[in-house]
Amino acid sequence: MNSPTLVFCRKELRDAFRNRLVLLLIAGMSLVVVLSVVVAAAGFHAKVVDYQSYVKAMQSAGQAENVTAPQLFPLQLLRGAIEYLEIVGSIVAIIIGYSLTAKEKNRGTLRLLFSRPVGGASMAAGKLLSVAVIWFAVIVVLGAIMLASVSLVGGITPSSAEVIKLVIALAFSWMYLMMWTAFSYWLAGRARRLSTALVVGLIVWLVVVLVIPQIGDTMDPDNQVPGGLFKSLQVDKPQEQAVMAHFSGYETTRNDLENTSISKHYERASFAYLGIKDKYNQQSLGLIWRDMWANVTWLIGGLAAALGLAVAYGKKRHLLRKA
Amino acid sequence: MRAAIRTNGLTKRYNGKAGEPALADLSLEVPEGEVFGLLGHNGAGKTTTVSILTTLLDPTAGSAEVQGADVGKSSAKVRRSIGYLPENVEFYDSLSLEENLVFFARLSGLSRPRERIREVLSFLDFEGHEKERLSTFSKGMRQRVGIAQAILHKPSVLFLDEPTSGLDPAGVKLLRDIIVRLNSELGMTIFMNTHLLAEVTKTCTSIGVLRAGRLIYHDSLERTLRSFPAQDSLEEIYLHIEASGA
Repeated sequence: MNSPTLVFCRKELRDAFRNRLVLLLIAGMSLVVVLSVVVAAAGFHAKVVDYQSYVKAMQSAGQAENVTAPQLFPLQLLRGAIEYLEIVGSIVAIIIGYSLTAKEKNRGTLRLLFSRPVGGASMAAGKLLSVAVIWFAVIVVLGAIMLASVSLVGGITPSSAEVIKLVIALAFSWMYLMMWTAFSYWLAGRARRLSTALVVGLIVWLVVVLVIPQIGDTMDPDNQVPGGLFKSLQVDKPQEQAVMAHFSGYETTRNDLENTSISKHYERASFAYLGIKDKYNQQSLGLIWRDMWANVTWLIGGLAAALGLAVAYGKKRHLLRKA
Repeated sequence: MRAAIRTNGLTKRYNGKAGEPALADLSLEVPEGEVFGLLGHNGAGKTTTVSILTTLLDPTAGSAEVQGADVGKSSAKVRRSIGYLPENVEFYDSLSLEENLVFFARLSGLSRPRERIREVLSFLDFEGHEKERLSTFSKGMRQRVGIAQAILHKPSVLFLDEPTSGLDPAGVKLLRDIIVRLNSELGMTIFMNTHLLAEVTKTCTSIGVLRAGRLIYHDSLERTLRSFPAQDSLEEIYLHIEASGA
């Protein structure tokens, strides 16, 4: 098959594997993701060991029947990994998406490419397809390492239902990284100056990934004091809900604000399927979907919009405009 | 003889730029088999002309045809019939010579490019470097890569934008010889932008002079040299034409 899309895809894959910057960025991102899982798994293992030695001590004191096992769930160990993919992954995706266009503009090869019988849409599709393959490989490897870390370091084998939930969360991660890559590709092609595209990309990243979620988190009563406001006041869940019913306007504002960030949609959906959000821990896929479909729809919509823009604005007349 | 390139009232005005157009009412014919040199100072409109003829830029007014195909209406057909070497293009340093050429060959629609690449490299006397990455290549070698990618798909018209820019004297001579052979041995029509007059004298069969976007002179090189007996060299002829405007 020699369609221009596949020709571009093959060239970009070859180029990426020889590009030290791309390899370094992906390796760095993967390292922090893996480290967060390994550290969490080691902490999990320590809790299990503590529990087992506690059980042993209680058994020797003849009180084993009173010991209740701690509630430990392996997928909750992936909280840090998702947060790193959300924050570090998105900026790596922005740089990779930007470099797909920037390297052609800087080398002067765009004029050459557009003098061949190929269209900008084929070029955009081929380049983005190569990144889709790269992100897929990265996510698969990270998923395998996550499972291995949880099993080998944490000492617990996730059930098949948990593996399915992990696969769903990893699929969200792939969509999220692809969305930022396509967005940045579009931006670099759209802007007359590459420096402008990079600055705008970083500002959007700052607002969407850091500022809005941070404001939302700060407004959350659970985050106002360590451990949560209501827990520290020893207020149980029904009472908490009764209190919060008087602050519905505040909660709606907070929720609406967070809904403006695609990163928050990714985080909410991933946290729900991984059971990091207590409400969804050990729940069925159907129940989680019932609550999360809007977040997933936003994520799919964001990806579709970014890909659409990247392909639509990858045309010669946009890319060859003079700075 | 059939025209390989024909323009009629070709005009280009860049968006938002008032005043004189970058290219004004260019009407020109380059017959098949010619090596045409388009001369002019920087900013005269040479690159704009080539950009329109290679379908990279849409004209504001007028029309242009390459091998009988309209550059606007039949751009895909035009692209299949042309080769192009832009000024100061760098290619892909992380890829080898062969990988670069396979990429461009496939973009040009060649399904089995390796045999053709061998032929082209042999023609350019450039064999033995196939597996080397372009990051190790000199400027002169890169220009040969540029020529190689431009002729892989056997185009009938070749556009060269300042092909000897930045080359040392040996590189200039080598490239000049290649241009002459492309024309004489492969029969390619060559349209070359340049402001180096020494290469024009040794390679071109006809010349045109652009000044501020307007074609102020167009004739065969032989007649040009005969028509200006008072001038000793093409350089003096060019400066005379530039100054007098005709």
